[in-house]
Amino acid sequence: MVVGGSLLAGGYLLAAFGLPFNLPSSVPKPNTKERSLLCSEIVEPKAVLSREQLAQLMTVPERSQRSKVQEIVKQPYCRLPGLSIRVGATTERELYPLSFDPQTSLLVLYEGQTYVGYGFKRF
Amino acid sequence: MQSLRYASILLLIVGCTKKPPTEAPREIKLYQNWELQPGQVVGGHAVVSGLGDLSIALKGDAVYAPFDGRVQPHNSSCVIFSSEEIPVYLFRLCGLRSLNFGFLSAGDTIGSGKELQIAVLTRQPDGRWALVEPSKKIIEQMLLR
Repeated sequence: MVVGGSLLAGGYLLAAFGLPFNLPSSVPKPNTKERSLLCSEIVEPKAVLSREQLAQLMTVPERSQRSKVQEIVKQPYCRLPGLSIRVGATTERELYPLSFDPQTSLLVLYEGQTYVGYGFKRF
Repeated sequence: MQSLRYASILLLIVGCTKKPPTEAPREIKLYQNWELQPGQVVGGHAVVSGLGDLSIALKGDAVYAPFDGRVQPHNSSCVIFSSEEIPVYLFRLCGLRSLNFGFLSAGDTIGSGKELQIAVLTRQPDGRWALVEPSKKIIEQMLLR
C-alpha cells in the first residue's frame, strides 16, 4: 500500500515537472549516426522542433514563401544535399528532429524562395 | 518423363519470379488527367505510356532506387516509387519486370525490362500529383548504380 502510494506520488511529481514516466533506458534513442550520415551540413546540432511549431507549420499552405516557414521552424539541425529532380529547380532539404519523437525528423523542402512541402523521416 | 519436364518448367518459372506485391495498388490523383493512362486498354491493346512519360530503351538492364524508398504496385504495368527523403515527389515506372516490391535501399534494383516509361510527379497543394519534366541527373541516377 505504502509502495503503491509512493509510486503514485512519484508519478505526480514527474508529471508536475513535465518529465516522462518511462525510465531512461526504455526511451527510444534516435539513431544520430544514421541521421548525420544523411546530412551534408550540420547547422544547429541542438535544434529540435516542438509540437507547437509543427502545428503552426501545418497551417502554412504549400507553395508559400520560404520565409513564412523559416519564421516558424527557425534554424534546422542540418541540410541534406541539394537535388535536381525536375528541370529548372534545385530541391533544398532541411531536417528538424522532433522534440516529442526523437526517432522521427521533419524534412522541409524548398525550391528557390518557395516552400514546396514537408515529410517525416524515421531513423 | 513428361511430368518431369512440366516440373522443371514450373521450377524455372517459380525460380525467375520475384515476390508478388503484398499490398493493394497505390492510387494517385493526377493534376493533368488524360482519359487514357498507362496500364489501361484501348481497342484491345495496352496503353504503355501517356502524358509526361519518358520512354527509355533499357534493353534488359536494371533500374535502381535513387534513394532509400518504397516500391508499391500501381496498375497492371506500372509501379510507384516513393521516398521519405523526397516527400513531395513520386516516380511512376512502367514496363519493368522482375520487380522488387517493398522497402529498398538507395542503389537496390527496382526491376529491369526492355523499355522503361518513367514519369516524375510532384504533390500539389490540393493533394493531386502533377507530371513534371524529370532532370537528366535523376534519370541517370536510376540507370547507373
